[in-house]
Amino acid sequence: MDIIVCLKQVVDPELPVRDFAIDPSTKRQVRDGRPLVISTYDENALEVALQLKDAGGARVTALTLGPQSALGDAVRLALAMGADEAVVVDDPRGPDLLGIEKVGILAAAVRRVGRFDLVLCGCESADWVERAVPPLLAEAIGAACVTFATRVEAADGGLLVRRMADDGFHQVEARLPAVVAIASDEGNRPRLPKVKDIVAAKRKPVQTWPVGDLGVPSVGEGALGVEVREVVVPQRTARCEFVEGEPAEQASALLRRLQDLKLL
Amino acid sequence: MAGICVVAHALDGTLGRSSLELVGAARALDAGLGLGMAAALLGHGSHLAEATDVLQHHGVTAIYRVDHPLLTAGQTDAALAALESIFQRAAPQVVLVSADTVGRELAPRLAHRMAAALVTEAVELGVEDGVITARRQVYGGRAIATLVVTKRPAVLSVKPRALDVPEPKPATATIEDVAVAIDAGALPTRVREVLREQADVGLEDAQIVIGGGRGMGGPDGFKLLEELAALLDGAVGASRPPADAGWVPISWQIGQTGKTIRPALYIAVGISGATQHIAGASGARTIVAINHDPEAPIFSMAHLGIAGDYREVVPALIAKVKELKGR
Amino acid sequence: MAVQISDEHRMIQATVREFAARELLPIAADLDHNPRFPADAIARAAAMGLMGLMVPEEYGGPGLDPLAYVITQEELARASAGFQAIVTVNNSLVCDPILRWGSEDQKRRYLPDLVAGRRLGCYCLTEPTAGSDAMALRMTAALRGDEWVLNGTKLFVTNGVEADLCVVYARSEAAAGARGLSAFLVEKSFPGLRVGKVEKKLGIRCSSTAELVFEDCRVPADNLLGERAAGGKIALATLDGGRIGIAAQALGIARACLEESAVYAQQREQFGAPVASFQAIRWALADMATRLEAARQLTYRAAVLRGEGRPHAREAAMAKLAASETAMFAAHKAVQIFGGYGYSQDYPVERYFRDAKITEIYEGTSEIQRLVIARHVLGRR
Repeated sequence: MDIIVCLKQVVDPELPVRDFAIDPSTKRQVRDGRPLVISTYDENALEVALQLKDAGGARVTALTLGPQSALGDAVRLALAMGADEAVVVDDPRGPDLLGIEKVGILAAAVRRVGRFDLVLCGCESADWVERAVPPLLAEAIGAACVTFATRVEAADGGLLVRRMADDGFHQVEARLPAVVAIASDEGNRPRLPKVKDIVAAKRKPVQTWPVGDLGVPSVGEGALGVEVREVVVPQRTARCEFVEGEPAEQASALLRRLQDLKLL
Repeated sequence: MAGICVVAHALDGTLGRSSLELVGAARALDAGLGLGMAAALLGHGSHLAEATDVLQHHGVTAIYRVDHPLLTAGQTDAALAALESIFQRAAPQVVLVSADTVGRELAPRLAHRMAAALVTEAVELGVEDGVITARRQVYGGRAIATLVVTKRPAVLSVKPRALDVPEPKPATATIEDVAVAIDAGALPTRVREVLREQADVGLEDAQIVIGGGRGMGGPDGFKLLEELAALLDGAVGASRPPADAGWVPISWQIGQTGKTIRPALYIAVGISGATQHIAGASGARTIVAINHDPEAPIFSMAHLGIAGDYREVVPALIAKVKELKGR
Repeated sequence: MAVQISDEHRMIQATVREFAARELLPIAADLDHNPRFPADAIARAAAMGLMGLMVPEEYGGPGLDPLAYVITQEELARASAGFQAIVTVNNSLVCDPILRWGSEDQKRRYLPDLVAGRRLGCYCLTEPTAGSDAMALRMTAALRGDEWVLNGTKLFVTNGVEADLCVVYARSEAAAGARGLSAFLVEKSFPGLRVGKVEKKLGIRCSSTAELVFEDCRVPADNLLGERAAGGKIALATLDGGRIGIAAQALGIARACLEESAVYAQQREQFGAPVASFQAIRWALADMATRLEAARQLTYRAAVLRGEGRPHAREAAMAKLAASETAMFAAHKAVQIFGGYGYSQDYPVERYFRDAKITEIYEGTSEIQRLVIARHVLGRR
């Protein structure tokens, strides 16, 4: 099976509040000097790909879209974890693009990689949380689509996918090619790379494709149909009031406060 | 011809609450846009008649209805085929979809097929000078983005439980049953089995919710939370790590990928305040955080905080609540 | 000039930090309170490649440089100094001398197993009457035919209970002192070797410390490590590397003290304010942070010199001296900042306090490190 895993590098979502800021000119989070990580569920997607590789053999290609100059460790980590090769689509605006803007680029990159039976993505990015790219990409490349999947196995020439549902799970059969968006599950906790593989990762092939080479016309803002007017950090109305004392005193004081607020 | 079309479905058997939330949103948008509104109703069998009544009861005046045996739980591809058929007739300018299990797959795919503008996971919709605006949480709830929808058609998905169910507004709808031929063999996905989890703890409707996080250290800590919740008539939830680790059922998970709660009181215990959790809990009116680390981000969204070990604080709370109740 | 760590070092650090968070932090307190060998965690560490970090790929290891090694050891010790003691002995005191002085056959026979966790190593130098004066050791090795016969007792052997492979120093020659010593690779299953008394210790309690008794223990001639009579040189050069590993352990303990203290000081309120707002506490935290950074730079520098094959006995001694005394200082401050809670086993700092002390003692006490450094100051060896 040929698997492409889409990885997005984002500012660490657990960044301390004091370091979180919105750049008013880009209307996106300030990335400079902030630690970058692979977006949460993308790592789970990579783990699912590697498990499929372990189970039945697969070639795993990590695909990322972003400024090559500020790529950080995403690609190296993916290769250390076990991806066979990586493709970087070098696009300075990559991280800031909305799903509808970037899907054409991703689709072109997937087609240029050529061989693929399965494209795995995280179920959402930790930054813009649109949850839109996997279904959009499925449409763009003519593939089946399942999102919020926690487990994926090869079955009968297709896939059997366990999808999180509002009230439980769905067992979904999907044909190939497919785009599957992965949610976290105890079974797909990202593995830690072996130290040896971190060292060896630098010998694995990484291709860099300037976004211009993909021949995707840029989507004008009018055609996009959606404008980001503003991104604001809500002002906190009240500071946290700490309840002090020994545990018993804290418990009494807290309950008194909650009674005052008519919450109990 | 109705310009605003709500995707209502009874794929799970009954018309979900989230379909009604969309009806409320559509009514509000219609007041600003004056495009008229309709519902596309998908499902199978006797439930459809009931769902039709509920929609009319909430002010829907035009219903395009598809009854098909494949329109059952989780069948996104069948739903997509049915909606394409409806939209060929109705040609809506604005499509509202709930970002539920099926809707979060449907909305982007519909947008792609309709060459429509797309906004997903909106928590608020509005109209300014005839233009739709949408607000959504970004950066795990740390910021709110306002988007302006400048193109029609547009597909907008709305986060379940972000909006209230509207007041009833009885109406009589014109009902058009749309015949759709769906070739089961041609669908790229098929739901083989639906696994329902044990009856819900009522997390989404509880007025008091107590959530536990990684700091609980294991499943045992949650027993304390359950004891406290039982005393307060509340429900217990969790952030992602305990659910991922299997300490609690996945259905307990509160957050971006879990449930969205809007209780009067949320007590977060041993929860650091990962953004993905905050996104699901920020609707709580009052938040109390109990965490050993006073620097934990959860305190930045909490109204009341206790910096301390939950193993000491929660038993003390249980004792005090028992005292209160005893009196 | 400050040592810069590379992207690769950073990624290895992040990986080992996550390993420690997943595998060690949840069990560290229990391993101390109910001392036992953490076999599962060691197996997982081996799967990650942590048991033979500097062993080259051809023998199954990742082939890291000493700087990467130091970085990983700090991370492990931050979570559990006892666990790291097990690991650092296998790396520095067993894999390392085999790599440097072992025959090709010995490397092939032992290194892949040591790396993979199929064997655990220990280092047998100290004897009841030869501690700091290690070169005065009395264990004898006599060549009989194609076997060496070892007699004597080794003390305070880290990993002594579980180890399968022992690096043993014994007197094989008539010459006194270092010149009379040879090093041997002794498998635990060789006849005539048994585990004697197992120590009950103040700290690093999940690593075993045992007496090993050699009674006509027969060792194949092939298992002589390095040249005959080269044991003294091997022992001292090995300890230069070992000291860097212990310095890293001390850094991990000191960092644990600093980080836990910083959290606690902001949470604990007295006189209506967090204790972190009091100058006495702030000064303590500042001193801990400053000494930690200074010790880390010394340790990194010693590691870089070792990696470049340059002399580093002086720097290794300085690193171990500075880091171990920093760990003890930081642990002392941490317990004080925690006050009564610091004395309680409900909080981790009393464990750090007990763990820190060993770093001033083993692989050369602070006094010995000072002697080593002073010899360099005075310009004679």
